[in-house]
Amino acid sequence: MNKILNIFLTFILTAFFATSTFAATKVVWWMESSADTDPTVQEMMCDAFNAEQDEVELECVFKEDINDTIRPALLSGSGPDMFDTPGASYIKIYQDAGLVKSMQEYADQYGWQDKLLGWAYNSGVFDGELYSIPKNYETMIYFYNKTLFEENGWSTPNTLEEVESLAAKIKAKGMNVYAYGSAGWQPTHEHLVGNYFNTYAGPENVYKALIGEKKWTDPEFVEAIELLRKHMVDEGYWSGDLETYYSLDWDDFNNEFATRGSAMLMIGTWGFNVTATNFGESSDDWDWNPLPILNSQAGSAPNYQLATGGTMSINASSKNADGAAKVIDWILSDKARALKVTGSLGYGAWLLPLKYTDADFDPNIDPRQKRFLTEFAEASDSGNYGYTTWTFYPNDPGVHIWKDMEVVWAGDITPLEFMEESQRLWDQARADDALVPVGKR
Amino acid sequence: MPKFLTSINAISWYFLFPVIFIHFFVVAFPSILSLLLCLTDWNGFGRINYVGLENFQELFRDRVFKKAVKHNIIWTVMFLTIPVIVALIIAYLLTGIKRGQLFYRLVYFFPYILASIVNCLIWRYIFHPRHGLGGWFENQGIDFLAKSPFAMKETALYAVAWVDMWHFWGFLVIIYLTGMYQVDDSLYEAADIEGATKFQKFRYITLPMIRPIFVLSLIIIIIWSVPTFDYVYILTMGGPAYSSEVVANHLYSQAFQRMNVGYASTIGVMMFFYVGIIVGFFAILRRMGWEV
Repeated sequence: MNKILNIFLTFILTAFFATSTFAATKVVWWMESSADTDPTVQEMMCDAFNAEQDEVELECVFKEDINDTIRPALLSGSGPDMFDTPGASYIKIYQDAGLVKSMQEYADQYGWQDKLLGWAYNSGVFDGELYSIPKNYETMIYFYNKTLFEENGWSTPNTLEEVESLAAKIKAKGMNVYAYGSAGWQPTHEHLVGNYFNTYAGPENVYKALIGEKKWTDPEFVEAIELLRKHMVDEGYWSGDLETYYSLDWDDFNNEFATRGSAMLMIGTWGFNVTATNFGESSDDWDWNPLPILNSQAGSAPNYQLATGGTMSINASSKNADGAAKVIDWILSDKARALKVTGSLGYGAWLLPLKYTDADFDPNIDPRQKRFLTEFAEASDSGNYGYTTWTFYPNDPGVHIWKDMEVVWAGDITPLEFMEESQRLWDQARADDALVPVGKR
Repeated sequence: MPKFLTSINAISWYFLFPVIFIHFFVVAFPSILSLLLCLTDWNGFGRINYVGLENFQELFRDRVFKKAVKHNIIWTVMFLTIPVIVALIIAYLLTGIKRGQLFYRLVYFFPYILASIVNCLIWRYIFHPRHGLGGWFENQGIDFLAKSPFAMKETALYAVAWVDMWHFWGFLVIIYLTGMYQVDDSLYEAADIEGATKFQKFRYITLPMIRPIFVLSLIIIIIWSVPTFDYVYILTMGGPAYSSEVVANHLYSQAFQRMNVGYASTIGVMMFFYVGIIVGFFAILRRMGWEV
């Protein structure tokens, strides 16, 4: 009887230790949830990763308002092994508080710097070490109704004069110049501010202001805000007038653009998917262009503003950091797979900032989307890039941009007063060491 | 076991203990912490630096805070008048209805049980310049509501308050109606014999007799107006140009958008003191013999 019991116990213990020793390391990843993309991400990223190897078991957990959810989890010393954040300004706070793990050893081990676009890699480097990797990049462009432009003999604008001349023609036809609106997402205003900073004051000046070599109160920035005020309030370029701009939401303005209510749509590259879908139901055709340059000091070539739409990081208290790094490396290691995933999401999400070449693209890719991906890579590689407020601004000055822009539009403060407050908040953020990294131009 | 541990009083405390325990950790402790945080520059994550009364000095210079306080006062005044008057009148009229009263009560109360997001979406759609009333009037050639009142700085606060009042006044109807049913019928019968008009009965019998409930409703309105947030946040996020910003909205923005948790705590402390003053005021009235 004792012998049987011994054999049984030996079997149980062996099975237990074998399971413990050889079981896959479990890595939990909290991701920002989006009903449209979650199933695809689960299938093409999480399930695919688990199917390809048995060393690490990845569990993807989709969370609403990730920033509100992750904060108490990190502060309590628990939380997932990996997590998303909305951007670099949040990482800076987490890094200061010691809540996020440095990934420098993994970056060196797996060669992530060589895989990522330079600016994207640098956006996650704080105090010389890598803390986050963008999981999506975006920039501001404008879409236009190609059929409408051809019918009317309009050319796409490249300068301020051309923009204003075209705007007059579009308005004479009873249409709005640009479709856009901020209902449901007040930070929409910062897209426009960033556009005017980069295409009027120019990326070089924005860069100098970001690193403190220029003041935000310098004339080029004040003039850029004044021009935006004029176009928004006096000219009603966006959806006809300021109040309608405040009243239209995502569906409204996309629908307005697709149904000839507006001739153009100035938006981020996340607009590719919805534009392609909406125009798919219409007889009109669409195309896109980089933003027109509104002032000679912004250079002559179009510039693409750099932006990261979400980042991935490793929790400082994770016990499976090595496993989490393997997950990240798997994601960054196959460009064709990465393009397939983002292609399934209309290139509006999971557009990893990797060094893509022509060979990586699916032959069936929409040529307009391919043109964006290759032109953006070339432009950003050759230094023709600008800066978005939501990637390169610390929290307080960033919120000021979209909250107080309304005060300028309301006529309660002047553009100069707006920029003076901006400068004050930047000075405060600089004194508090709250700035986010900006790679050297 | 000592007798006092098994006394009726002690047993009451045993039952209260779980609630007190949870209340301490969920409400009291964070509140005390907030009192301390208002003296720091904490961003919600990292180092906590003591800054003395700097946040309070900043608060009194903060033009948005001043604007928000003013809006909260306007908000409170609106809620103390419009829904109260309408609810009193409707409740009084309802007491005269014998058949189908339940239907009216349900209809008036219905918006109160709807989630705030639903109420807001309904009214945002009604005032939508393209699909709402404005678009409809435009098709008739009438220039009315062409711009959403939520999008104009002159009207945004009032438009948001209107939606919240639309949701709230049914609640007041129900509690006033409940109070009116407690009034002894013999008082009305005596008034009828004396030849009193409907208004005289309302003024000299109904109103004095429901005073405790009426005053309670005023206290509720004043206190609830301080942390008002959801309708403003959903409909306008405090805009345009802070024209509908209220104190709670400003606190949220400071704490969760600008990451100035220390400063946000200062705003919270000011709200706490304000509510304390209101409660204290009514407590004094009660001590003076007022039926409140």
